[in-house]
Amino acid sequence: MDFQAKLKGKDYLIRVDEQPKYWGITLQEKGQKEEFHKIPKEHFKRMDQGVSFLFDESSYMVDVVGEGTQYTVYTRGSYREIPLYNDESLLHESLKGGGAMGASDSLKSGMPGKIVDIMVVVGDNVEPGQPLLIMEAMKMENEMKATHPCVVKEILVNKGDSVESGALLIKFES
Amino acid sequence: MFKKILIANRGEIALRVIRACRELGIKSVAVFSEADRNSLHVILADEAYFVGPAPSKESYLNVDNIVKACKDSGAEAVHPGYGFLSENTDFAARLKKEGIAFIGPSPECIDMMGDKITAKKTMQKAGVPTVPGSAGLVPTAEDAIKVAKEVGYPILIKATSGGGGKGMRLVHKESEVKAAFKAAQNEARNFFGDDQVYIERYVQNPKHIEIQVFGDKQGNVIHLYERECSIQRRHQKIIEESPSPSVPKDVREKMGDISVKAAKAIGYYSAGTFEFIFDSITKEFFFMEMNTRLQVEHPITEMVTGVDLVKEQINVAFGKPLSVKQTDIVQRGHAIEARICAEDPVTFTPNPGLIRRCRHPQGPFIRVDSYAYPDYEIPIHYDPMIAKLIAWGHTREEAIQRLNRALDEFTLTGIKTNIPLHKSILDHKKFLDGSYTTQFIEKDFGDLKDMFRFLDDRVFLISAAIEAYNGYKERGSWKHNELPSKWKNVGRDKALRG
Repeated sequence: MDFQAKLKGKDYLIRVDEQPKYWGITLQEKGQKEEFHKIPKEHFKRMDQGVSFLFDESSYMVDVVGEGTQYTVYTRGSYREIPLYNDESLLHESLKGGGAMGASDSLKSGMPGKIVDIMVVVGDNVEPGQPLLIMEAMKMENEMKATHPCVVKEILVNKGDSVESGALLIKFES
Repeated sequence: MFKKILIANRGEIALRVIRACRELGIKSVAVFSEADRNSLHVILADEAYFVGPAPSKESYLNVDNIVKACKDSGAEAVHPGYGFLSENTDFAARLKKEGIAFIGPSPECIDMMGDKITAKKTMQKAGVPTVPGSAGLVPTAEDAIKVAKEVGYPILIKATSGGGGKGMRLVHKESEVKAAFKAAQNEARNFFGDDQVYIERYVQNPKHIEIQVFGDKQGNVIHLYERECSIQRRHQKIIEESPSPSVPKDVREKMGDISVKAAKAIGYYSAGTFEFIFDSITKEFFFMEMNTRLQVEHPITEMVTGVDLVKEQINVAFGKPLSVKQTDIVQRGHAIEARICAEDPVTFTPNPGLIRRCRHPQGPFIRVDSYAYPDYEIPIHYDPMIAKLIAWGHTREEAIQRLNRALDEFTLTGIKTNIPLHKSILDHKKFLDGSYTTQFIEKDFGDLKDMFRFLDDRVFLISAAIEAYNGYKERGSWKHNELPSKWKNVGRDKALRG
């Protein structure tokens, strides 16, 4: 199975070839030479605590969270967020993009929290960087700002509302 | 001794107090809000009482409900932890009225130190140095020059109603005073409608140094030396250490002596902390405020002095004298604490949510005060700090290496934490040589994304790809008619039409 991945602004191609005793992994950073890793299945072991991964003479306890095209990989106190596409998921994304709303014409909450203040009204022309609303989560107030010039079309929340992660807050037209 | 203590708090500090109670043979009573039924302090306490809905105001800050829980449980004393009701005079006074002991200082002391102006005046009277400045308002630029001569440059001209850096001017020499004075006045008038200003010495290379003091009801007061907490962002401390790499021995003793004298002057008992702003070049120090409670970072003092501060608090509240004398207090080795928070290390936004895997660091000279466990959902209503990781070493270098090692061992997945931030700070030249100031995060820390430089990126990429592959395989073989195959059909249709 072939995947396209993105990490730290670089594009990668990863081919996963499952064999009875090992994983054949071809890893290629775009524009660079590809490298092949033969990883014995004994070296990538799923356990209660995650995956014990022996790689390049080093031992990692890895936890991979995610499904679809968004993965977060944790190990040794750090993590990386990795978008990962294969042919099927690319198709999935393209269909979604055509019908529903794209990411840039709405503001969604990135975490569960409470709406403390709303600084715009419907019809406002907003500039990039202009504060739209303030959300409170865990005693911290976070200002959410516009990323591109647009007009406020609809505000779906009120001051004082509690919202879930991913909730639609404001719709825009460009 | 008390037979039962109620802990009016949650999170790691509630656990800390439960542990002290257990060791003293005292029953512990937890209180919890609607959001905290599954919190570890509820699970580990001997008894637990519900005190209200998730928002703190309605539960952990609800004095009536907490007093009721005391009566229902028969608790004879309350430990307030830090935050919440720990520095609330009304709460302390109410408990006194109800005949319940408050494990902390007297309501009078809390009140006195809670008001910044009263606190500063009281401390000046007790002989504690405060930041030099004008006695009150400075009406004209000519007056400003006069004051600056006494105070010494550089000075800050500050608007009385100012904030967020507005209406504030930094002045290095006399020739700049006139223009800066006007500018500060104008800005203050424009922003706050009030152009009154005053003058304060600008402390260069500022460090946050605090002195732990402890008093009993017999009038004994000791100090347990200093903690440096200069690694902070927007006044939220991130890393603390004891001793400070910047405070010379004689200054340390002087700070301790002055703090003890000041605490005696106000009849202070229980644990308290004097916070100072410290000029790391001139080694001058000035009183900022006093915290009349146990501090988050108290473990580093416990590690270097060997004194259990929470047990002392309980003993003192019961009326016993301090178990240690000043001459018993020695700083042995070095301790550092890292506050582990559920937050994005790049943006500093809180990142509450479900913890998947959790494994705490272990091994020699490591202490973990944490309320995280696997499958625990961190509520959005409270502080994002979920754990404190403390390392001890003979030397500062050893303590840093040990903390670094323990951070590597800390598994906490499903949420983002600031562990990568800590690793990056511990690797920074200015942290390693101890010259960092309170401006470190804003000024010296540089590119935050750089904190993801430590590990081989291929490990993450390959792991993600294999697990994604496994995911597709499992879904594909177990649920034939689910999503993936449907998308395949759509793809085929498209190909046929195309």
